[in-house]
Amino acid sequence: MTTIVGIKTNEGVVLGSDRRASKGFFIGSKITQKIAKVDDTLAIAIAGQLSDAEYLIRVAKAERKLLELRRGFPLTVKESSRLIANLAYSGLKSYQPYFVELLVAGVDDNGGHIYAADMSGAITTEDFASSGSGSPIAYGVLESVYHENITNEEAKEIATKAVAAAMERDPGSGNGIDVLVIPNLVTVTASRR
Amino acid sequence: MSDNSFTNVGFSGNNRYSSYYGPGGRLVFVDSALEAVNKGSTTIGIKTPNFAIISSQIKPTRPLVEPSEKIFSIDDHVGATGSGYIGDILQLIDEIRLHAQKHSVSFETPIEIGSLARHISSYLHTFTIYSVRPQAASILIAGKDQTGIQLYQIDPSGTYFKGSAFAIGQSSEIALEVIQQEYKENMSVEQAIQLSNNAIEKALAEKPLIATGLISLVDGKFKKLEAPIMS
Repeated sequence: MTTIVGIKTNEGVVLGSDRRASKGFFIGSKITQKIAKVDDTLAIAIAGQLSDAEYLIRVAKAERKLLELRRGFPLTVKESSRLIANLAYSGLKSYQPYFVELLVAGVDDNGGHIYAADMSGAITTEDFASSGSGSPIAYGVLESVYHENITNEEAKEIATKAVAAAMERDPGSGNGIDVLVIPNLVTVTASRR
Repeated sequence: MSDNSFTNVGFSGNNRYSSYYGPGGRLVFVDSALEAVNKGSTTIGIKTPNFAIISSQIKPTRPLVEPSEKIFSIDDHVGATGSGYIGDILQLIDEIRLHAQKHSVSFETPIEIGSLARHISSYLHTFTIYSVRPQAASILIAGKDQTGIQLYQIDPSGTYFKGSAFAIGQSSEIALEVIQQEYKENMSVEQAIQLSNNAIEKALAEKPLIATGLISLVDGKFKKLEAPIMS
């Protein structure tokens, strides 16, 4: 279930999500936060088993802080994504996989980055990406309107449109949209019902 | 095989006896560790209800060598410093950092300062009961939690103290005397830094490089103060 989208821009990254948590054919929650802020420069959008994702993010947060303290400067977005992917991979190889599809989005010295990480432990870098049951519909919007040199403001609009479109036709997605913008160096949040 | 070779199996030198009591019921190795700490750089912690500072003398190295870091961030709300062998200090700092992060993974809350002090105390204590070298480092931990600003000193024996002012390292008795005379609960951050600088200078009878860290009630974030002050 779920629809999440991530867009890389020329000013940072943008994440979007719906707010529905499904329990089979029942709507378990209408106000779920599927975008987890790790810190001011990194956020993760969650699709899949919420408990697994929460755990991975908690561990990633701690490991990120530890390594930053130890070496004196923060992890890049790729390092953070690989860290999470390694946890996912060790889960897979011990026959207790984490049932997640994550969009890891953040900014570092080299600008904005979006990585898609899943339970297989693979990560792929993307200009824009979507995950969850509504993703085929969201991708329809993203593919038709995404362009290079996109601004955060434009990306916010597109992310909202993509999630809104998915919510119209995917029963696993709905109940409002959250958008998080991470500009290079500063973080702002915005949301729309 | 002679008797002699039998007693030496797996051990060498005095190491084997590190956990034995010495004359007068003292733990000789622990006493030696404390002695080593007393030769370390002069290090101060001062706490008021509104903030705490920790500062440490940075020993001069030769040209072309950067002196080692002495003020350490443990987590957003905690900082620490220490005196003694720098290798031992670094090891202990990492142990404290790890414990702080384990707490946030388990509970998603910042760890309280007393828990950190107790953890590192029991960590140090294990070195006093097994046949190993006790850590030659005393640690000062300053931070903010639900009960306000906290300051702790932890010694190589595992003994820990909670208080408003501590001095460890070289000539720490002199430094402590200065602080005890001039400590005021309502002093400002600047006054506290001045007091700690004075105490270190008095103890060493010179003006050394000093690194300082600050945690205040206002934002609850531990900060290393800009570049060591040449006072």
